[in-house]
Amino acid sequence: VRFLFRRLALAIPTIAGVLVVSFLLLYVAPGDPVQEMVGERADSATVARLRAEMHLNDPIPLQFVHYAGGVLRGDLGRSYITGRPIINDIADRFPKTALLALSAMLLAVTIGVPLGIIAARYPNGYIDRLASLAAYLGVSFPVYWVGLVMILLFAVTLRWLPASGYGGPAFLILPALTLGSRSIAVLARQTRSAMLETLSADYVRTARAKGLADHAVLIHHALRNALLPIITVLGLDVGAYLTGSILTETIFSWPGLGRYVVNAIGRRDLPAIQGSILFLSLVFVAVNLLTDVAYAVADPRIVYD
Amino acid sequence: MSTRPNSLRHFSLAVVAVAVFSSCRGGDAAPARKTLIDSRGTYDPRSLDPAHANDIPSGRIVALIFDGLTRFSPDATLQPGLAERWDVSPDGRTYTFHLRRHVTFQNGVPFTSQHVVGSFTRALAPETKGIPLWPLLPISGAKEFAAGTAPTVTGLVAPDDSTVVITLVEPLAIFPKLMAMPVAHIVPDSAGPDFSEHPIGTGPWQFAEWKHDDYVRLARNPHYFGGPPKAESLEVRIIPEPSAAVAEFESGAVDLLYVPENETQSWTQTDDKKALLQNVPSLRLWYAAFNVSRGALADVRVRQAINYAVDRKTILDRLLGNRGTLAAGVIPPMLAGADSTRRPYPFDPARAKQLLAQAGHPHDLTFELWTAPDQPFPQIAEAIQGYLNDVGIKITIVRRDFASLRAAARQGSADIVLKDWYADYPDAENFLYPLLFGANAGQGGNVSFYRNSAYDKLVSAARIERDDGQRTTLYRQADELQFRDAPMLYLLFYNDLYAVQPWLKGFQAPVIFTGQRWTDVEINHAPAR
Repeated sequence: VRFLFRRLALAIPTIAGVLVVSFLLLYVAPGDPVQEMVGERADSATVARLRAEMHLNDPIPLQFVHYAGGVLRGDLGRSYITGRPIINDIADRFPKTALLALSAMLLAVTIGVPLGIIAARYPNGYIDRLASLAAYLGVSFPVYWVGLVMILLFAVTLRWLPASGYGGPAFLILPALTLGSRSIAVLARQTRSAMLETLSADYVRTARAKGLADHAVLIHHALRNALLPIITVLGLDVGAYLTGSILTETIFSWPGLGRYVVNAIGRRDLPAIQGSILFLSLVFVAVNLLTDVAYAVADPRIVYD
Repeated sequence: MSTRPNSLRHFSLAVVAVAVFSSCRGGDAAPARKTLIDSRGTYDPRSLDPAHANDIPSGRIVALIFDGLTRFSPDATLQPGLAERWDVSPDGRTYTFHLRRHVTFQNGVPFTSQHVVGSFTRALAPETKGIPLWPLLPISGAKEFAAGTAPTVTGLVAPDDSTVVITLVEPLAIFPKLMAMPVAHIVPDSAGPDFSEHPIGTGPWQFAEWKHDDYVRLARNPHYFGGPPKAESLEVRIIPEPSAAVAEFESGAVDLLYVPENETQSWTQTDDKKALLQNVPSLRLWYAAFNVSRGALADVRVRQAINYAVDRKTILDRLLGNRGTLAAGVIPPMLAGADSTRRPYPFDPARAKQLLAQAGHPHDLTFELWTAPDQPFPQIAEAIQGYLNDVGIKITIVRRDFASLRAAARQGSADIVLKDWYADYPDAENFLYPLLFGANAGQGGNVSFYRNSAYDKLVSAARIERDDGQRTTLYRQADELQFRDAPMLYLLFYNDLYAVQPWLKGFQAPVIFTGQRWTDVEINHAPAR
């Protein structure tokens, strides 16, 4: 518990850093939020009025204080473009991104880990070779390409699944597979090598020697010990899921936070960009914390103090 | 108006080869659904409140839920909307709109002239933060009211329930066309700050549901004054990736597709796909604006030389699948004022070199060419770079996102900017005035920073001229004048290419973005072929 508190305390400067950097980056970037609001044809009176209303004429430090003050009060501001509160937009989009990422992760675990176990149990067998090939392909193909091929195959040619959009489970399958494809491959490789290592360990030989069933040895002795590197990969992958969701959500018209951020950047919607980045960094911090907790659960030898 | 194609589009080339295997399923039986589904939205509408409908996806939907005093037909002719007819005073400054009677809003409230005054006043009010306001600013007192220095808009008067008298600051012949713009659509008194989430109008479709970044669903308005739409409901899907929109169309899940720029050839050269196409000239100019205030571009000979040096015909054929017509001026051929006898600058590198030599720049010119980020613009930029290299002009291509491009263009910090311009309303004025009028330099859309008092005089005269024939002549003269001055590299007028499912009945591709209101469109459930 003390460890948790310390980690949370450490997260505060991280978040503050994110706040400052994301704020400054946007002022360095070319492009003008007011111009993006008014479109290509505008009168200078409107532009001047908006600029003043948005406090864009204030000195940058003052603007930052203004913004940070809002954030501390839990107010992420309103979108320059739509006028809607950012917090509502995030609350609307993030659950959809989380659903997609968790589904992809679930697929990765339920496909990748067993594949790795089987591959490790029969090293250099045909399943192992097939899994290796699939893993290499999975890592090599860009998400974008995988997504479009899946759409062509399952939506256009076979017509089993909808090509894009958000709705029931049918809409989830293709984007989750696309987002998870890389992870399935990575996880299968990681599980295989971790399992191979533990399978040659003394305690596994001992377990076999005392006559335990094959599956019991694999699951209780070998996999349990191989879990740490697998958890590490999963934890690291969360970042990949969140960035991967940008492409996946765009390809599949999935109304999540990744697409929201991309649109906001394209339109220089400063409050929307800053709010989303801040929120996503909170998610990162939380996931890292969860990963550390998972280590302790998976391996009782790990004690944080 | 700006267009914002999707920035991921260029990746889609990678799958064109695969797409060939999945041949189009045109001729399949009609789907059982009773909802029309449009796939053209590439990003979430900014707002469904007319006062904030500043982009094409918003404007399209606003024009379905609401009515203006006037509107456009699919072929872009001006038609009566909530106003049955209108008169103009002899001095051209006062428009009297006679309103349709017995019209009700979708919430049952009867529509009166007070709503016209109320809607315009609301859009202009500082607290509404309306955008874009320029269609309403010609009204007397509108500027002062919008700036917060006047209590009312003096030019707006409703003498009785079915008449609105609008006085303008100065005569403006195109004013009735501005009344068809989304910001001039009529809202009920109840419109508040969150009106965008539950809009109510008098139009043929009433708002049902909006799932952000997903779709907007509309239902038939059974009491629409023009008769209820034929279909029960209409769904506007938001599909950011053009390849996904194509897939949705090919799987029969949507009824209408805007054929993406890069897939033109695959559609026009495949017979079963070609059968589904509707090709309409759009009011969209593709051009490269020369910043005439920068260096050698101030010299008309240099600007003309660039026009002679680039083989536009080849660019149009090879890079754009011949989807358009070469531009000889800025007025699209279908609009009054376009001169069909004027020839585009011919491809003549020898003449270009000669002009450059005369200008004293035989080999020493270098320019930055800024291009919109999405294909085919960067490809066109490369072609231009090649052609100009042949006549001794070095071009550096600068490829940035739209926001950066626009900022550079407006501030005048780019030499040449390759972009397009999409008309807000079908009139030559919408090209001549924003793109090249001196007072619009920079902010107003004139990113050539072109300032020519003779040209300005002609355009100003055309804007106030009430006689159609006279105005057309003035437009033509202005276009001719600037064409010789060459403040831009004239490229082409683009064609909009739509794929329409065989079961869709009554769809006519619109020339202007608000021109198709889906009232006569339906799904033909009879077995196809």
